[in-house]
Amino acid sequence: MQLTYLEAIRQGIWEEMDRDPSVFCLGEDIGIYGGAFKVTDGLIDRFGPERVIDTPIAESAIVGAAFGASLTGMRPVAEFQFMDFIGCAFNQISNMVAKTHYLWGAPAPLVLRGPSGGYVHGGPFHSQNPEMWFVHNPGLKVICPATPYDAKGLIKAAIRDNNPCIFFEHKYLYRRIKGEVPAEDYVVPIGKATIAREGRDISVITYAAMVHSALEAGEVLSQEGIDLEILDLRTVSPLDREAITQTVKKTNKVIILHEHSRTGGLAGEIAAIINEEAFDDLDGPIVRIAGLDSAIPFSPPQEEHYLPKVSDVVREARHLKGY
Amino acid sequence: MGAKKTKSKQSSNGNRSRNGAFRSKLNTTDRRAYSIPDLRLEHPDLTVRQAIEKDKDGAEHVRYEVEGNLNAPVPPIRDSKYLDKKQCIEIYRYMLLNRKMEVALENLYKQGKVVGGVYFGLGQEACSCASAYALDQDDWFAPMIRNQGSPLVRGFRASDTMMQYMAKADSPTRGRDGTSHFGDIEKRNMVSPISMLGDLIPVLSGVALGARLQGRNLAVMTYIGDGGQSTGVTYEGINFAAVQNLGLVLFIESNLWAYSTPSEMQYRCKDLAERAIGYGIPGVIVDGTDACQVYDAARDAVERAHRGEGPTLIEAKMMRMKGHAIHDAAAYVPKPMLDFWKKRDPIARFENYLVKEKKWLIPKENAELIAEVERIIEEEREIAVTSPMPTPESAEGGVFCEDGCHEIKPKYGVPKVKRGTGSGPKQTEAAVHLR
Ligand SMILES: Cc1ncc(C[n+]2csc(CCOP(=O)(O)OP(=O)(O)O)c2C)c(N)n1
Ligand SMILES: [Mg+2]
Repeated sequence: MQLTYLEAIRQGIWEEMDRDPSVFCLGEDIGIYGGAFKVTDGLIDRFGPERVIDTPIAESAIVGAAFGASLTGMRPVAEFQFMDFIGCAFNQISNMVAKTHYLWGAPAPLVLRGPSGGYVHGGPFHSQNPEMWFVHNPGLKVICPATPYDAKGLIKAAIRDNNPCIFFEHKYLYRRIKGEVPAEDYVVPIGKATIAREGRDISVITYAAMVHSALEAGEVLSQEGIDLEILDLRTVSPLDREAITQTVKKTNKVIILHEHSRTGGLAGEIAAIINEEAFDDLDGPIVRIAGLDSAIPFSPPQEEHYLPKVSDVVREARHLKGY
Repeated sequence: MGAKKTKSKQSSNGNRSRNGAFRSKLNTTDRRAYSIPDLRLEHPDLTVRQAIEKDKDGAEHVRYEVEGNLNAPVPPIRDSKYLDKKQCIEIYRYMLLNRKMEVALENLYKQGKVVGGVYFGLGQEACSCASAYALDQDDWFAPMIRNQGSPLVRGFRASDTMMQYMAKADSPTRGRDGTSHFGDIEKRNMVSPISMLGDLIPVLSGVALGARLQGRNLAVMTYIGDGGQSTGVTYEGINFAAVQNLGLVLFIESNLWAYSTPSEMQYRCKDLAERAIGYGIPGVIVDGTDACQVYDAARDAVERAHRGEGPTLIEAKMMRMKGHAIHDAAAYVPKPMLDFWKKRDPIARFENYLVKEKKWLIPKENAELIAEVERIIEEEREIAVTSPMPTPESAEGGVFCEDGCHEIKPKYGVPKVKRGTGSGPKQTEAAVHLR
């Protein structure tokens, strides 16, 4: 069945609510309206207002309530209208939810999900990729799928996981990409990367919307005889160290590509892993392509300048090939 | 004039009328006539304000000053609507355990056995113990730092708290956290607090939400200080419980100080219970040093919660009788204010009530009870002191729930599932916020 990225997520939530009565959704405008992006459209008619709860505009209350319900054995799925607003609940997530199993042994099986990412001219408060705020919080799993297949398989895995999962849905991908999604039940394992394109010359380590930019660059570069390997991380915490190491050992050259700003970004962490695991395998410098160290500007020419582009990957790959 | 009959069913989510909690008591809903019942038998009128004081050299210092009738007589204990002799004595015993545990902690601190500081609930034992005593077995709660008596009522041992303070290997968190920061989701239904004030309120609301989805209306009790209630998450949490009609029982512990800040600099309304009106929920004021008043208000709120009638806000008025923690001598507290509240010691007053007024305890029985509590605390202290320190390596692991460390299932039964007509996920291409 061909589904959009968005439909795949909705189907994943739907199926999990169908098979497990302890799953329920809460968030702003998710019921009759179906959510700002319509991810939960139709859920309230099917599962009723008890399990599809429209909440006040109160992000800390949403996370707090989801956490409390998870302590009674429920599996809440909380939506953020935009992931930019997750900062309003940061304390609840970082100090309450993430630490609870380590400190007092209580599992918190909950999912916090919502749209993130740029390329849609959403401006500084509707375009952010705040995944790093949570990567630096042990106790959380942070998931960023790139394809409809992974989006569905990973949302289902996140709902079934016994730990708090933060699920970033790239809003640029919601309706832009379609892909084959099997009708039968499946999950995609959390913490496992996948090879989005096999290649020999240079590894591009990336995730979410940037996987598609890297794939486009791969097409351009293949005309010139540069063969990119693209590793789609799928989960950014915990990172798949093994897959990172393997691709570096294979190509000996690495570009790390992400949307969020460069300083303190994921690329720095991945570079450190490569340093620890595959230093001797490197034939060139580790290259970072990332957003600028500023807020994401609103105006299209500015936003385009801020965010990584296909041409950035092409340029950096040509340069790196020379080593 | 009657409302139009429709086929739509009542649901928990959005079909509740505003101020439903008050409607039964009022003939008309269009006049604002909410009242805040006040169970107190006295209404202290003390005010604290900043004033400039000159020292002997003429240098000026800003100090706190108290005004009001500092010689008002101590009120009697209000007879409980619910508690019998046996229950009163039991609460009194928990209050003694609470206080003597804290005395033991102070001594352990002086002996250098405590890691970090010690917090006290001196003067607040009635509030901690009588409130938790009003919960049923299946109800949930979460203590704050002044409520070290509440876990005792719910079946934790004094040694648990002592070991937390000493960061011992056998502490409920195995050394990973201290003070009252521990919990138990299996037997005692206690959520572990975190330091950040206010965050427990939505969490407890969520516990009630989870239980309701499983078919149970539970009472979920927690506490917040006159200082902590200033946080935004307090508003979010109470409002969420109000909108969702969840059985939150929130004690606002108005103990007049938040660290060094008097409540006058924390909020502008007369009584924090008034805030209930803004949330559209019942609010009530009690004397936090009177165990009977605390219990009665808590029990009414717990029963409302069990009937599915939603949250209650209870303001307990009292005074924090020590500094913020053991390091703080509270020199900023005007002495006459402390003296005023010393006469209202919750344990001395309850003892007087049980022994002299009610004669439910003869002095000999009272002395025996006190000796028994002291013996228990000594035994608990011994257990706590003997527990080893955790190994360095025990800092590792347990970040995630994995390899079957917990089986997760609904605690109160499989939620009832209603299935509407929606046949399958829709394939929409609707108007959306951003493309
Ligand atoms: C959000 C937050 N800010 C600051 C603190 C530091 N802090 C801990 S207790 C306290 C005073 C609390 O006063 P109150 O809420 O009245 O409780 P009390 O100590 O009087 O029982 C402060 C400022 C905190 N724990 N949480
Ligand atoms: Mg206070």
